[in-house]
Amino acid sequence: MTTDQPAIRVMVVDDHPMWREAVARDLADAGCEVVATAGDGREAVRRAPAAAAQVVVLDLNLPDLPGVEVCRQLMGQQPAPKVLVLSASGEQADVLEAVKSGATGYLVKSASREELLDAVRRTAAGDAVFTPGLAGLVLGEFRRLAVAPSPDDSRGPAAPRLTDRETEVLRLVAKGLSYKQIADRLVLSHRTVQNHVQNTLGKLQLHNRVELVRYAMERGLDDDR
Amino acid sequence: MGSGRPGDGFSVEQPLWRAFSAFRLLTALYAVGRYAGDSKYYDHRLAAWVFMGVLTLWTVATMRVFASPERCGWNWLSADLGLIVVGNLLTRAFDSPANLAVAVTLPTIRAAASVLGFALRGGWRPATLAAVVVGLANVAERGRLDWTNAHNIVLLLVAGVAIGYVVELARAGERALATALEIQAATRERERLARDIHDGVLQVLAMVQRRGAEVGGEAGELGALAGEQEIALRTLIGEGLAPNPSYQAPRRPLRKPGAEPDPGAEQDLRALIGPLAGSRVTVSAPGTPVLLPDRTATELSAAVSAAVDNVRRHAGPRAQAWILVEDEPGEVVVSVRDDGPGFAATRLGEAEREGRLGVSQSIRGRLRDLGGSAEISSAPGQGTEIELRVPRQRRS
Repeated sequence: MTTDQPAIRVMVVDDHPMWREAVARDLADAGCEVVATAGDGREAVRRAPAAAAQVVVLDLNLPDLPGVEVCRQLMGQQPAPKVLVLSASGEQADVLEAVKSGATGYLVKSASREELLDAVRRTAAGDAVFTPGLAGLVLGEFRRLAVAPSPDDSRGPAAPRLTDRETEVLRLVAKGLSYKQIADRLVLSHRTVQNHVQNTLGKLQLHNRVELVRYAMERGLDDDR
Repeated sequence: MGSGRPGDGFSVEQPLWRAFSAFRLLTALYAVGRYAGDSKYYDHRLAAWVFMGVLTLWTVATMRVFASPERCGWNWLSADLGLIVVGNLLTRAFDSPANLAVAVTLPTIRAAASVLGFALRGGWRPATLAAVVVGLANVAERGRLDWTNAHNIVLLLVAGVAIGYVVELARAGERALATALEIQAATRERERLARDIHDGVLQVLAMVQRRGAEVGGEAGELGALAGEQEIALRTLIGEGLAPNPSYQAPRRPLRKPGAEPDPGAEQDLRALIGPLAGSRVTVSAPGTPVLLPDRTATELSAAVSAAVDNVRRHAGPRAQAWILVEDEPGEVVVSVRDDGPGFAATRLGEAEREGRLGVSQSIRGRLRDLGGSAEISSAPGQGTEIELRVPRQRRS
């Protein structure tokens, strides 16, 4: 379905040359246009605007900047690229932070070439790319927000909540079911499942932005005094 | 303090030698002053003055030499000691034989400075030797051993031995400190290296897994092994927790050997279940600790282990399993799902009776003991899922 469309512009950020090249090669072989590669966070942030990549494949484990910070800075650029986190297992907290600050996908490094290509295509198309691990993290985050003490004043944003259906879908993703299997089981269309997953991310990212703005405003008010 | 090289800024050596050099000068001045007061008792005053002049000149001229451990060798110390001995002996030659009022030798306590030099240089043994030499010269000057010079000799010996001993201790301490600093630096360097190397190794392992899976066949097996090792290593480095690379369910979940069981203690369930992850097992959990009382966490993770074991036994060694840990306000839910063939719901009781789900009995038993429940569901072609629920006690 992507054959008629122009090649996806991808930037690959990984401090490990072997990985960087392998991923770039795989993407190029599959018809993507690798517009830039970077070996550290600063380089990535510097090159991204000129490269105008649609998708940044980002390793969170970078030598100079935390991957989360790189993600945040990429999100601040105009136009902001879509970020697909390609990271090793065992960096769960970082992954959650990256997703909250705008990354729309997560894939473990052990994923196959096909999974990577599929993930890049879906990320470019604006879909959220979830692994079971990410679904578990997102579920946990919503629960944490729900039970966390609400902000002292009523002006604070209410904790975001998942609908029952969204929770159901996320739980099935976390248990390793594919979107198609989920669609079959819940008698939904594939697209609907995709939308539910997407919405959960959207809520999380919106909440994160609101929190950041609130924090900035509080700081600003404090400074005026 | 971690920035200093061994011996940097901690040295007792330099201050000691500087103090020693100053002590030499002060004692020499004292000797001159003392002689100025006592000169009336001497017969050969001019000759004695000449000696005092030589002693003072020597002391002042060699100040720099005696102020540093590198320059002040045994020859300098011996020359200094020789001059003191000569001074002691000259005292007898210069003073009036009838007059015993001169209780002190020409160099007087300047002799002690010479002995201290030996103490600084070589510790208490050379100091003792030097003190004995000075003492003998004293006795020779007096012509006999009496209370006065015995007293002086003992004082000299005590000072030499004590200072020499303290200097040896200080040096040993300094060496120990230097060694400790070296070890510390080496450890830090090793840790840094380990991080770098490990990260490289992990990347290569992950790459082998990825490529192996693409090539398939035997390479795929190899890749799967590499993947398991990668997860194992990463867990080891990241949390210091030994993971379970062979995908063998631990019957006795991790517990510190010999640790006192504390009924109030809580454990992070993720830490107990995490090691089950492997190339065929995916563990999904919240990003924050899932705390449960010690015993509950242990029992629950043992049940999860049994469930994962069950997957391998009944769904085949190639089956994938997914573990989902959920931390809800009222309960903790752990689901274990596999992608095996599964079975129709109507056959569940039958399968259980056949012992096909034998392990499920023990799982159910464990969960019942915890006040929770275990639910098994399956559909043909959709794998089997077991959901373990443990109620959470009200936190006070």
